[in-house]
Amino acid sequence: MAPVLVWLILFLCLLISIFKYTLALILKWSVPAAKIKKDFTYQPTVSVLMPCFNEGKTVYETIESISKSNYPSDRFEVIAQDDCSVDDSYEWMLKAQRDFANIKITLGRNALNSGKARSVCNALQHSTADMIISIDSDCIFHPDAIRELAACFSEPKIGSVGGRVGVRNPNENVITTIQTFIYYAAFQLYKVPENWTRSVGCISGCLFAIRRELLLEIEPKIRSRHWFGIPVNQGEDRFLTHQTLLRGYGTYINNDALCWTTVPSTLPDLFKQQLRWKRSIIRDLFYTLRTLPRHVWTLHPNTVLTLVLTPLGAILGLLVILTVLSGDPMALAGPGPLIGYLCIAAVLSLVIRKYSAKEAINNPLAFGAYLGWSLVSSLFLTTLALCTLDSRDWGTRVKQQEVSDGDGSHQKSAG
Amino acid sequence: MATEVIKKVPASARVPVIQPMVYKSVVTVYRIFAILTLYIVLAGVVSYGFVMGFYALNTSWAAPVILSPADDKSLDFTEKLVTSRQTLEDLNVDKNRLEGGVAEMNKHKASLLALEPELQTAIVREKQHDQATGPELLALDKQKQADNLKTQAVMAQIKEVEATIEKDLAAGLITKGDAATQRAALNQAQSSYTDSKIGEVMLTDNILEKTTTDTKSIDVLDKQAELISEIAQLDITISVAQKQIYEETKQITRLKEALATAKMTPYYLSVSGQTSVYFAFVPYDNQSNVSAGTAVYDCYLNMLLCKKVGAVKQIFGGEEHAPHPIFKTDIRGFLIQMQLDHPESAKSKTVFLNRKPLFF
Repeated sequence: MAPVLVWLILFLCLLISIFKYTLALILKWSVPAAKIKKDFTYQPTVSVLMPCFNEGKTVYETIESISKSNYPSDRFEVIAQDDCSVDDSYEWMLKAQRDFANIKITLGRNALNSGKARSVCNALQHSTADMIISIDSDCIFHPDAIRELAACFSEPKIGSVGGRVGVRNPNENVITTIQTFIYYAAFQLYKVPENWTRSVGCISGCLFAIRRELLLEIEPKIRSRHWFGIPVNQGEDRFLTHQTLLRGYGTYINNDALCWTTVPSTLPDLFKQQLRWKRSIIRDLFYTLRTLPRHVWTLHPNTVLTLVLTPLGAILGLLVILTVLSGDPMALAGPGPLIGYLCIAAVLSLVIRKYSAKEAINNPLAFGAYLGWSLVSSLFLTTLALCTLDSRDWGTRVKQQEVSDGDGSHQKSAG
Repeated sequence: MATEVIKKVPASARVPVIQPMVYKSVVTVYRIFAILTLYIVLAGVVSYGFVMGFYALNTSWAAPVILSPADDKSLDFTEKLVTSRQTLEDLNVDKNRLEGGVAEMNKHKASLLALEPELQTAIVREKQHDQATGPELLALDKQKQADNLKTQAVMAQIKEVEATIEKDLAAGLITKGDAATQRAALNQAQSSYTDSKIGEVMLTDNILEKTTTDTKSIDVLDKQAELISEIAQLDITISVAQKQIYEETKQITRLKEALATAKMTPYYLSVSGQTSVYFAFVPYDNQSNVSAGTAVYDCYLNMLLCKKVGAVKQIFGGEEHAPHPIFKTDIRGFLIQMQLDHPESAKSKTVFLNRKPLFF
């Protein structure tokens, strides 16, 4: 009975995924309502919060890209919060503060390494703007990013808006190529049906805009997030999106608000990043299941299905792979899945080349390696994530130095 | 530029410290469980990799097969066996019937062949007789005709004789009795003449029969033709029957050979009701380790702590296909019969031939 149930749920997840992708194509091409009505005359004051940890010179480039934004410079500011970096990140932040005097840049430093979520909250303390944009300090932003995000808030029920995250290093190696495909498909297809119902399940933390009052309302919850007493400092983007939805607001991804990130290029880095994401997904699933009646009554069915079935499918994928490996190990060695992936790669590669030339893939065949990665991901990442929910390690950054005092932060501003 | 210290986080926003002992206990249990799970996963992965590598490299394994009379192959075999036996019996019956028929036909043919020269002799003899008597009859016929002509002339004078008799009677020259006697003599002469004419006609007919081909001769020839045809048909029927007997004899021989071969297969042993017959599938890659009398080992966890459980009794020649016990791919090989001292080893996933796979 149990295996039948597992296969049934997995089949349902697969069916919903296929349905979502098909629906995405239909919506994208023929349903104008799937896109939000943008009002570019709506220009609220904006605080760009940029938590930073061990990013080095990249943080300078990030601030530089923001300083070139097509948004009235008197209506936005950058609040950069260093989370006790052990490299020269803070010096680069200071240099950026000096070099880009056209915008107001406020710098702060946590007294104790606190993680990204709490760094955002610390930075929030110094913001008075109507709209908060939280960004990653290793991203480069399109000049229209802030303008595009702000224009979406003209719809009063919209609580959070995200941008599209592109890959800066698509052709560095096979690993980055695979991620380019995944990122593109996720933003341009998978999230489109969620956009249609204004119920995106997870807005990327790379570029996350939220109403100030909403963030202030959620902030205590961010600070008090814990797992049986262990503070949780990962997956703040998923948490924020989830909380936005639970408060009756809509969430949306504006694919015209662009930012570019450097994706992990080594297997260990990718493994750590994906492990962190997987933990967030599992935590989010448990939270959703724990409060399922509230979700069912509050949220759009599409959102509930996304919040439940997508992570459930990832966990059940582990059982399916185990079943296959123990029952018929060579079933995965057939050409079917590989051909399937290569077909997807061929189509996506053409689409990316046409619509996002910056991310054009030189070697689409590299996507065939995703077969191997999906096995590793399903087998080990899910297991490891399930067994390390108590971990606070960010994974992809150098460990912070021991900071002995305080829970606060230091602030330095210029403008 | 100024540096300021942010206020401490509001107390309400801090991580709640309720039930710290419960949390600590839960986390401790979780960590123990997680560590155990991860070690189990690690052990599983290593074991899985080892098993995969082991079976990819090992060339002495065989997969025990329990052949049930009810499984598809055995049922198929049984069905074919029964059909073959039935066909063999049918062929034997048919062959015997055909051979009996051929014997009967040969007898009949012999009798017909014996009749045919007698008929021919009779025809020749009759023809010779006719050739001899025909001319004689023709001469007699001519003489008869001349006699009748003479008689006819005499008979033309009868009226006058009758008138003379009447005159003599009337004149009283003769008595009535004499007159009656004379008249009777005349009638007798008349009747003799008529008989003579009939004899002439019949003689003419007889001459015609003797000197020309008549319908009776044709009937006899027809009978002769029928006889020859019947013999020819018998020849054909006998020939066909003999060919059929030859073909059926060949088929019977082949079927007997096939049945003899079938008796050498594991399926025959399985369906013939013999108990304690154990088989194993051996892939061709492992063929070098198999020969009659080779030791069979059974191991715990399919590779460890092996013990000798029997020996190879017989190697069957037919090719078999079976799924690989680990990889589940379809592989080619053959079956062997094992003589097992430990029958439960027949239920193992794999056994090893010739040697212990890991030397212990």
